[in-house]
Amino acid sequence: MYTLKYYICFALTLSLIGCKKPGKLEEMQEKDWYAGGTQTVFSSGSGAFGAAFNGLSGTEMFVHGVGDLAFESTFVSAPAPKNSGLGPIFNSVSCVSCHIGDGRGKAPEPGEPMISLLFRLSVPGQDAHGGPLDVPGYGGQLQQRAVFGSQAEGNVNISYAYATYTFPDGTTYQMRTPSYTLTNLYAALPGGVMISPRVAPPVFGLGLLEAIPDANILAREDVNDANGDGISGKANWVWNVLAHQKTLGKFGWKAGNPTVMQQTASAYLQDMGITTFLFPKESSYDQPQYDNLLDDVELSDSLLYAVSFYMKTLAVPARRNVQNADVQKGKQLFESAKCSACHTPGQRTGVNVAFKQVSNQLIFPYTDLLLHDMGPELSDNRPDFAADGAEWRTPPLWGIGLTEIVNGHSNFLHDGRARTLTEAIMWHGGEGTVSREAFRNMSAADRAALLKFLKSL
Amino acid sequence: MTVLAAVAVVALSSCKKDKKETAPAAAEVTTSGILADLAVNVNAATYVKLASTSAELYTQTVALSSTPSAFNLQMCQQLWRSARESWEQSEGFLYGPVATDLIDPRIDTWPVDFNALEGELASTNEFTQTYLNGLDDALKGFHPIEYLLFGQNGNKTFDQFTAREKEYLVALAFNLRTLTADLAEEWNISNSTSFMASFRAPGTSNPYYETKRAVYEEIVNAMAGICDEVANGKIGEPFLANDATLEESPYSSNSMTDFTNNMKSVQNVYKGKFTADGTGIEDLVKKHNLSLHNTITAKITAAISSLNNITDPFGTAITSQPVQVTAAMAAINDLRTTLEDELLPFVQQYVVD
Repeated sequence: MYTLKYYICFALTLSLIGCKKPGKLEEMQEKDWYAGGTQTVFSSGSGAFGAAFNGLSGTEMFVHGVGDLAFESTFVSAPAPKNSGLGPIFNSVSCVSCHIGDGRGKAPEPGEPMISLLFRLSVPGQDAHGGPLDVPGYGGQLQQRAVFGSQAEGNVNISYAYATYTFPDGTTYQMRTPSYTLTNLYAALPGGVMISPRVAPPVFGLGLLEAIPDANILAREDVNDANGDGISGKANWVWNVLAHQKTLGKFGWKAGNPTVMQQTASAYLQDMGITTFLFPKESSYDQPQYDNLLDDVELSDSLLYAVSFYMKTLAVPARRNVQNADVQKGKQLFESAKCSACHTPGQRTGVNVAFKQVSNQLIFPYTDLLLHDMGPELSDNRPDFAADGAEWRTPPLWGIGLTEIVNGHSNFLHDGRARTLTEAIMWHGGEGTVSREAFRNMSAADRAALLKFLKSL
Repeated sequence: MTVLAAVAVVALSSCKKDKKETAPAAAEVTTSGILADLAVNVNAATYVKLASTSAELYTQTVALSSTPSAFNLQMCQQLWRSARESWEQSEGFLYGPVATDLIDPRIDTWPVDFNALEGELASTNEFTQTYLNGLDDALKGFHPIEYLLFGQNGNKTFDQFTAREKEYLVALAFNLRTLTADLAEEWNISNSTSFMASFRAPGTSNPYYETKRAVYEEIVNAMAGICDEVANGKIGEPFLANDATLEESPYSSNSMTDFTNNMKSVQNVYKGKFTADGTGIEDLVKKHNLSLHNTITAKITAAISSLNNITDPFGTAITSQPVQVTAAMAAINDLRTTLEDELLPFVQQYVVD
């Protein structure tokens, strides 16, 4: 756990610049280092996603620390003196067991245990709020584990089909397509069940993303592609439990959650079987696994708040090698291949006097937070509020180059099928087709430069 | 203002530093030499010891299972403490495979899930390794082993072991042996695809570390990280909540030893010494900033002795010795601050590639 204060580390980077007098261009490039604005941490090690914001007050730092410990707490079955209430059905026992190092999960290789990948379920139709319709007897997610004496809902077997392709310059690359088989189901599944695999995403920088004004996000919306650029960003409007109305969806692979806190509470409920004031009913309610215990809510309001605050106040790692010539070339290629049409580099957060650390910051998350059609190959064919089966929220790219050191792998996309950044790019279809084709037709050196740019994020 | 001042000072010295480096080095302390020594003498050596004591623990649980006796139980308990010592002395470098391969959660999760544990013991499930691998983390590793070996109140006797407890214990010890052996292999110097190889040879094609400076930052951040965890998590959480059920190693009353070994881990990393001694970060600090070296050495010693001042078992001390507990938290946080605010900038200044 790394609740460190890193502001002294700025000294080093600045010292390099300090020897030269910066010109105007260099000043602009200098901004590029600060992916999270003033909430940027100069760390490129395994703790890079886990550093606290700068300038937190003593109280705020305390709440961040409480949230940090709660994020790592392992839940156990009820009744227990501490961390009671796991399950009865669940996917995981703690936040950190999926978001290792506050980072990215990984799809298992065939036969490996399912650790940081889960499966959302629904049947055709919409619930009362326009969201996915629960599967009778299963709810909205397949819980693959259960506490002792209770029955898990089922398991998933993963297999991959491999195919080799060749770039025009002769370089080969391999892609793998996952397929899933549900096994050991505890009850018959109704027909037409839709399944959506989801890998745990990194959890840093969420306070900054939440601070981007809705108006800024909506300004980029272009549902019918009126400007004819082939890109039609679409907002997701999702049920906000606290506001009791639909608000803009910002979090999750399909932007299915409006706030960090609701995303967190939903993960507590669905992934761990822990009830909160936002979702006080067990995920197993109305199912034979339901424990009939009068112990809900199982996580106190203050802890839910603290865990949300912890994630909101995780700083963003600074970019590396910004001044490297290849990286700069790669950045130009990223623009010219139109990757930046959806992976919008810069965003400006709104003014917020109540949360000054995220107020009015120029940040570089590389996302527009909108939904885009990614083509049939990546489609999960499962709608989620306004998102149709082929639409996914543009995931932020900040910190992507540190995945390997933080998480020990470089697997990407919602189901973790891509094993390298190259594969991830080559899976882009739909609105991403033009960019993918541009990448395909680049020289090997240009492709390498683009990848080097991505690794500098 | 203070940040700006620090920037200015570092900026000046870093501009000068290039000149210094062109002068012939007086000692044979090199930043790459320290990394190479540290990886072998501390990280790898600690994990090798952890793996070998875990293997001995497994052998001894087999003996206890076949021949229950006070001696065999005592041997198991002693070996659990020895394995625990190596593990806690490795927590000053919780980066790499121990984290990314999920070894830490699989061997050191607490609290123990009693309901599930009692359920497993009451069941007829066969404790194969496949079955064990599918169990929750709170049912595997050091703490369920501790619970079985020492009992809820730390007074278990050899004749109290049920057949199911023996089966579970042996299977758990085997699992611990396997995982710690995997960990040692990832730091095996003769394995060219291990994490060790990347750690010792940073470079642009290295998947983890592009520069030596990045490795040094990793090392220092991990040292500060364990100080934070001990002061504010392991000690701070039970103390501030005044709740002994939050203690990490309650059955064996081993918590104070755990904390001390965590501080020794920081010391080992700093000195570059577990048993064999080569160059360490301390040599780099001594070469450039003797005053900082003296500060760090004094603060490590202060942290360890502040823990020694807590004489009651930790679960009791949080109420009986609040002054000593507070002092220990302060001393460890003080060390952490020095590591974060002085040693980190130091390595960033002196490890330039």
